[in-house]
Amino acid sequence: MDTDRPLLLATEADETLLLAKSLDAELSPLPACEAPETFETWRSEFASQAARGAIVVAPWENGRTRGELMGLDESGWRRRFELPYLLWNFALGAAARRCADGGAIVAIVQAPAALEAPGWTPELSIADGLLSLIRSIAASEGTRGVRANLVTTPIGLTEVDLVAPPPPLAGFPGQIDKHVAGAVRMLLCPDAHGLTGRVLPADGGRSL
Amino acid sequence: MTTHDTPESRSDDRKTIIVTGATGGVGRGIAIACGRVGWSVWIAARREKEGLAVAEEVTAAGGTGHFVRCDAGERRSVEAMIDAVIEADGRLDGICHNATSGLSPVPVTLCDVPLKDFQNHVDVALRAAWALARKGHAALKESGGSLLLLTSEAGFEGKAKLSPYAGVKGAQRGFARALAREWGHDGIRVNSLAPLAATPAMERAFELDPEMVPRVLERNPLGYLGDPADDIGSAARFLLSDEARYVTGHTLMVDGGSCPAI
Repeated sequence: MDTDRPLLLATEADETLLLAKSLDAELSPLPACEAPETFETWRSEFASQAARGAIVVAPWENGRTRGELMGLDESGWRRRFELPYLLWNFALGAAARRCADGGAIVAIVQAPAALEAPGWTPELSIADGLLSLIRSIAASEGTRGVRANLVTTPIGLTEVDLVAPPPPLAGFPGQIDKHVAGAVRMLLCPDAHGLTGRVLPADGGRSL
Repeated sequence: MTTHDTPESRSDDRKTIIVTGATGGVGRGIAIACGRVGWSVWIAARREKEGLAVAEEVTAAGGTGHFVRCDAGERRSVEAMIDAVIEADGRLDGICHNATSGLSPVPVTLCDVPLKDFQNHVDVALRAAWALARKGHAALKESGGSLLLLTSEAGFEGKAKLSPYAGVKGAQRGFARALAREWGHDGIRVNSLAPLAATPAMERAFELDPEMVPRVLERNPLGYLGDPADDIGSAARFLLSDEARYVTGHTLMVDGGSCPAI
């Protein structure tokens, strides 16, 4: 194992495989989102392994579909909000425990821009919750030099016509290997040693 | 509604609102503040004795106080509660979701939180918000009402030792931001309020983590914790009232200027 490489803690979605390649990261699979009863055991085993200097957390899912809240029954709410959000909590807790002193954690969350939020209430709830969790980790782990930051991307959540005006940059919602991986590399690099608790939207300026 | 609405044309004096978890603290303060302007206020909570006591305070303040049993984390309980309120009052103008997990003030390291505790936070903060929104939508659409979620400065800046609480409070902000855009065309407003108040929960958090006292108070430019009724309740009442009819998708910080993360 090359401990200088970022460790990518992710589900095995097509997007994360591309991200691992772009970051030259070692992929460490997360448990299935639908099996919360396995989360505690997984966390315990993962957190007890050798510390890593750079951990990227991206529990993405393929095939997200939009749908307004009034059409979301209890099982739908659990599938779209509760289970992914619980997995995020376990993944970030484990990453915080395993990150080496002076290391860096970057989480990548799929987040709709505010203008495209209708139909994505569970996903925007997760994204805003993640910002609070990342800032909690930045505060708790900062005492040992660990930085924690968040990248947001609308990739995978754009199944809707864009509201005017258009995003400032062309190419919305962006590319995993170019825009998302670029933001992650920036936050992991030593030049970012003064940045923690920040959110960086890799969305071509859509969330301005 | 006309562009130049007059105070006489507003219907604030006839509002019926629900406040979850209002047996004490900020919820109690909001209930009393709404009672002061004559509203019908339903204390939706699990503890009947304490809920009835707050309902009496609402009535004494000038409104009409009621208690209705509700376990906010249980969908069926939320639905039955809203049915009971609408059956009794014939309308619903506002829902204020204030209830929070009893684990909220308990210091913990994120990596050590058991699944059942995470689930408890999620149930009371977010599943309740989902259930209240779905069940309350029709009545709120009819009244042109609003949904108000009680979040926290923790939902902006995080908390080193209260990360599960901070996470769900941040998630509530996202919930309100998105739902405000979904419900705007129905004439329903959705907002959040982030209070900093002198409450039993805050006292308990101070007891559990004494180092929290200077962290909370030294950065507060106004120099005190807000009064649940006079400082927090009045701001919540504004967001629930017709005075705030053009305010939606917003988080109002009512924290004496404490939170630097804005």
